[in-house]
Order: sequence, then C-alpha cells, then structure tokens
Amino acid sequence: MSTLNPVEPLLRSDRLPHIWCPGCGIGITINCFARALIESKIDLDSVAVVSGIGCSGRVAGYVNLDSFHTTHGRAIPFATGLKLANPKLEVIVYSGDGDLSAIGGNHLIHAARRNIDLKVICVNNLTYAMTGGQSAPTTPEHAVSATSPYGTFEPPFNLPHLVEAAGAVYIARWTTFHVRQLTRAMSEIFKKKGFSFIEVLSPCPTLYQRRNKMGDGLDTMKFYKEKSRIRHGAPTSEVGLTLNGEIIVGKFVDRDRPDYASLMRAQYVEALGDRYVECRETTCN
Amino acid sequence: MATLTMPVEEKKKTYEQEALITGAEAIAIACKLANVDVVTAYPIRPYDTVMQYMSQLVADGEMDCEFIVAESENSQFEIVKHASVCGARVFCGSSGIGWMYAMEVLTVTPALRVPMVCLVGNRALDDPGAFGVEHNDALAVRDLGWLLNWVDTAQEALDTALIAYRVAEDRRIFVPLAISCDGAFLTHSQALVKVPAAEQVMQFLPKYDRGDLLLHPDNVISVAPQANEDWVMEIRRQNYAVTERACDVIREVYADFERIFGRKYGNPFFEEYMTEDAEIVLLGMGTLSTPVRVAIRKLREQGKKVGFVRLRWFRPFAGAEIAKCLERFRAIGVIDRDLSLGAPDLSGVVATEVRSAMYTSAKTRPPVLDFICGLGGREVTVPDVGKMTDIVFQAANGKAQPLTQWIGLRG
Ligand SMILES: Cc1ncc(C[n+]2csc(CCOP(=O)(O)OP(=O)(O)O)c2C)c(N)n1
Ligand code: SF4
Repeated sequence: MSTLNPVEPLLRSDRLPHIWCPGCGIGITINCFARALIESKIDLDSVAVVSGIGCSGRVAGYVNLDSFHTTHGRAIPFATGLKLANPKLEVIVYSGDGDLSAIGGNHLIHAARRNIDLKVICVNNLTYAMTGGQSAPTTPEHAVSATSPYGTFEPPFNLPHLVEAAGAVYIARWTTFHVRQLTRAMSEIFKKKGFSFIEVLSPCPTLYQRRNKMGDGLDTMKFYKEKSRIRHGAPTSEVGLTLNGEIIVGKFVDRDRPDYASLMRAQYVEALGDRYVECRETTCN
Repeated sequence: MATLTMPVEEKKKTYEQEALITGAEAIAIACKLANVDVVTAYPIRPYDTVMQYMSQLVADGEMDCEFIVAESENSQFEIVKHASVCGARVFCGSSGIGWMYAMEVLTVTPALRVPMVCLVGNRALDDPGAFGVEHNDALAVRDLGWLLNWVDTAQEALDTALIAYRVAEDRRIFVPLAISCDGAFLTHSQALVKVPAAEQVMQFLPKYDRGDLLLHPDNVISVAPQANEDWVMEIRRQNYAVTERACDVIREVYADFERIFGRKYGNPFFEEYMTEDAEIVLLGMGTLSTPVRVAIRKLREQGKKVGFVRLRWFRPFAGAEIAKCLERFRAIGVIDRDLSLGAPDLSGVVATEVRSAMYTSAKTRPPVLDFICGLGGREVTVPDVGKMTDIVFQAANGKAQPLTQWIGLRG
C-alpha cells in the first residue's frame, strides 16, 4: 500500500513547507479542493487555478496544476481571459475576501452579471491578512483590526447576497470545519455551467482571532462547530455574518440561466444567421 | 503664501521631545502635528505601517481627523483628492504596485492643483512581488508635475513631512508632493527622533488655504471642466511654471524650518559627505547612504579620497546646483536603485538626469558612471561600495569604463 497521501500528487511538494501560519485554514481548503478534483475525476489538464494576491492568493503556487498568481484584485479578469481564449478550460478563481470583494469587487459583480463560467472559491478570513490584518469589506461590525483598534463600525458585505443579486447561479458557504460539505460543494461546481461562488470561512488565528480574543486555530474550529447552522436554500439576505453570532452555512443558490458563451452565441446567430461561424477552438496543449 | 514674522521663543525648543520611532511612525506623528484633516488608507507593505500608527492615533483621540480604509488605492487617492479641493489638509500613501494602481488619480492631481502630501514606502514593482525597496514606484510620476523627495532617516522623514505641507500648500506651488522612504530600511527601522512641539509646528505651518480655488457653496467654481486644444497648453504651462518656482520656495521653507526648529539641513536639495577634499564622489538617494558612509570611512583609511552626495529632492531637480557641486570632482558614480529600461547608455533614472544637468550646466566634463544596485531590497554592501569606488577611480584615471554596470548581481 502506498504511503502517499492521496492529495499529494495535486500539490507541488517541492514548494513545501508553505508560508501559512499554524492554525491557518487555507491549507484545509486546499485539501478539500484536491479531494474534490480527485472525486470528480476531472481531467486535470483542463483545470486552471487563478488567484489574486494575499495569503489565500498563494494557493496558486502550491497546487500542481496550471496556475497563475495575478495582481491584487485582478484574478477574475485574468480568469475571464483564460475562459474566453479556451472555453474548454475549467477555470477556478481561488482567492481572498479582500482581493475578491474590495480591490477586485467590481470584477466580482460583473463576472456574476455576465454569468461567465468561472468557479470562484473565496477564502474569507474576515480581514486583509497578508498585509497585517486591517479592516476589510468583510470584517464584521465591532471586530478589532489593525485599523480599528476599538472595533470596526462599517457594515460588511454579505457576499452570498451580493453575488446572488449580481447573478451567480451557484452559491454556497461552508467553514473549514465542514470539510466534507466543502469538498462536495467544490465537486458540484465543476458540474455547474455559469458563475459559481463558494465562500469558505477560514481562521486567521495570527491576526483576526488573536486580536478578537477568539483563541487559536482549534478554538476557531470549535467556534465554527458551535455557531454554524446548516440552512440549504436560506434566503441570502438572511445569511450576513456578525462577530459572534450564528453562521448560516449551506447551499443557498443553485439555479440555471444561460452563461456568457451561450448568450453570445445566441445573439450572433440571431443577428447574423448562417453567416455566423463559431470561433475555432484555440489549441491548447 | 505663508509669511512668518513671529520670532522663535527659546523656551519653545524645550518642548521638543525625543522618541524612539520608525520612519513610518515619524510620518504619522508629523501628520498629527500638522493637524491633518482627512487620511485614507489601503494596505500594502511597507507603507501600511503608517496607516496602522495613524489609526491608533485617531482611535485614541490624539489625532482629530477623518480616517477611512478605502477599498483600493484608486479610491484611496480619489477620496483625499476631493477632500483637499474642499479645503481639508490630507495625507495618503502607498507602495510599489499599489501606487501604480492609483495612477489615474496621481496623473490628474497636479493639473487640478491639489496639494496632497503622500508617503511612498518605496517597494519594487511587481512582478515578482518582492517586498524590498526599489525607487521606480515614486519615480513613475516624475514627469507629471509632482514634487518628489527622498529621505534618509526617521528624523528627516518627520521634518520633511512638515516641510512638505508648507511647500505643497504654498499658493505659488499647489501641487501634490510625495515623500519617499525606503521600504523596510527606513519605514520599519527605529531611531531616536526629536519630535517638535505643536506650538513650533503652528508657527511654521500656516492653515491650508485654497482661496479662490476652494470648492464651497459660497465660492461657486467648477473643478476639472473639460478643455481641449484651446486651453491644454496654457493649463500645462501653469504646472510648468510651478516647477520654475519650486526651487526658490523650497529654499525659503528650509530657511524658515531652521529658524523655527533649529535643525539645519544646509542645502535643501542634496547633502554632501566627506566631499571637501574628495577626488571622486558617489551619488544616490535614500538609505543607501548608510553603507556608503561606512564604506567611505574605511576607504579613506586606505587613502582613497571618495565622497558622497545624497540627493534629497528629485523633483524639482536642482540641475544647475547639482552640476556646480559635481563639476569639481574627477569622476562621478551614480548609484541607481531603479531602472529606466532603454534609456541612453541603458542607465538608470538618476544617472540620466545627472548627465543631462552636467551637460548644460557644468564647467567640466568628468565621467559620470552609473551603477544599478540594491534592487528589490538587496543590500548595498560595504564591499559593493568599495568596488564602485575603484571603478570610478579607474574612470578618473582615464581608463575607459562601461557607462552602466550592475553591482551585487549574482553570477
Ligand atoms: C494594488 C495592490 N494593492 C495592495 C496590495 C497589498 N496586498 C497584498 S495582499 C493584500 C490583502 C489580501 O487580503 P485578502 O485578499 O483578504 O487575502 P488574505 O491575505 O486575507 O488571505 C493586499 C492589500 C497589492 N499587492 N497590490
Ligand atoms: S496571516 Fe492569517 S491568513 Fe495569513 S497565513 Fe497566517 S493565519 Fe493564514
């Protein structure tokens, strides 16, 4: 029997040890992602992982797949380019809450609006971790951060609600405690056509939990376990996060609407009839 | 325009306190002393330390200002730009690629006559995402009408921030100003700093007054209306005129600084080290002065008469004065912590400017060599300085040298 961990071939072991702190949740999300890839038997050559900048953004450098570590906030436009150039690619955007919803927030809502076939995994540690734990658009009200020593007072984004309003077809939220559900959600999005979004709550014990006196990585797992309530199909308007309150998890949205590529095709066929010739596939090998 | 008539009372000086602080903290304290009204932030290393200090000062009620973490550098700079138009004294800043992401705003502020003061915690541009110092971030705005300077110590950072507000907000100037602090080497290094008393600062720094340029219901003006070829040249000329006046205003402000705070900076535009009897000099900006000075002391023990010129102000570039200073040496070695890919002789930004100034203003034609060194935060080491010195001496002795050389590059 091989002693190799089944996910190991999906990691660039030569890049280990990784940069993440003890108790950080990002590694758990990769484990789930790797298992989802294995379980879904997807052709790994057709998968591309695109990330922005941040602790979560480092994922692109550790997965043994075609990957790109883009500039901060720009993972979605980059992924859009990949998908347009080679529609057969399964393009995964793997990045942080700050990257995706602050500096890259505009791209997030527009990609959802277009319903371009991208799969977004948003690691939400409720702060800009890599730069030292400042208040981000996801930091819950009253939470202490590097820029709010006496508590944040800006209302945060409710990300599932935001992307639902913008048009995403698949929306789920899990925490790093829910490894099986998270793995399942990650394999589900491979089957989905259109803009899919998974929010993963993940501990940043070094900056967020420590400042908010919420303990270490293990304490955060217990916190997730205690506070989470699974409510599939919950109206996303009701799933906003608070500092110490309930965490609603589950699959909130699973709907169908034509994706960007099919809308484009339909429009050209209608306008041009027989004269419309589908673009030849870009060769990619 | 600021005119100051109040004499300095000796006892004011005693209010000055000493504190062990980093370069970034020194800038934050200067902003507090300058009574800045609006501060915006977006995290990026190494600049982000300043926003952390400042948010603490604001939260503790020590600094009475509005502070907001924007959702990106672009909005960060937009917010202060407009606050400034409405009469608020503002502070902002960034590093590396974050500064570049604000470029749209950085481009329009000089023409809009917004005297915002910014910190650039110098950092290498992406890729490959290095955190260390390089000067191309701040230099990216060198042709756009910004004033730019480089500081060397936490004390100079604090003093220069106060000077910066005085210069930028002078009605003869009224353009944005960026203070560059080398990432990590200065932003994160602690040193003893003399923190002036609020009263002294009040004497030095008048209230920010936009006069007829104030956007206010009682002063109905339109900011940034569209203009085409009918007016563009005239608008550009106004910014050009600022650069014509800037050197004189800076000189005035440093003289006043010395009068009020008692700290002497000598020539505002550059600082000389062991140049009196030097045969050759090295020239550079920022914290590389530390290893250079150490090396010079060692080299002098070996009888090598080398000096150093540290450039403080890059914009305006005091070309005639710099040329006058440099024409007395047999050869000059510029250390560029930046690149200007494809420039004449493939040299860096500073060397190219120095050569240009020398061509028009110097009486002699000493060779001006360029060294690309210390990129991405790599240390400029004492042996590096020794090597550069030897090369410059060879050029001084008539042995032809390549005009641009990389120093400290792995083989
Ligand atoms: C244009 C630009 N601005 C700022 C930064 C600095 N920066 C690097 S990572 C980061 C925040 C990352 O936060 P998030 O996306 O939430 O990821 P995390 O580190 O929390 O996993 C920032 C602001 C940058 N790299 N580029
Ligand atoms: S700083 Fe936070 S998010 Fe980043 S690696 Fe450490 S624990 Fe993880």
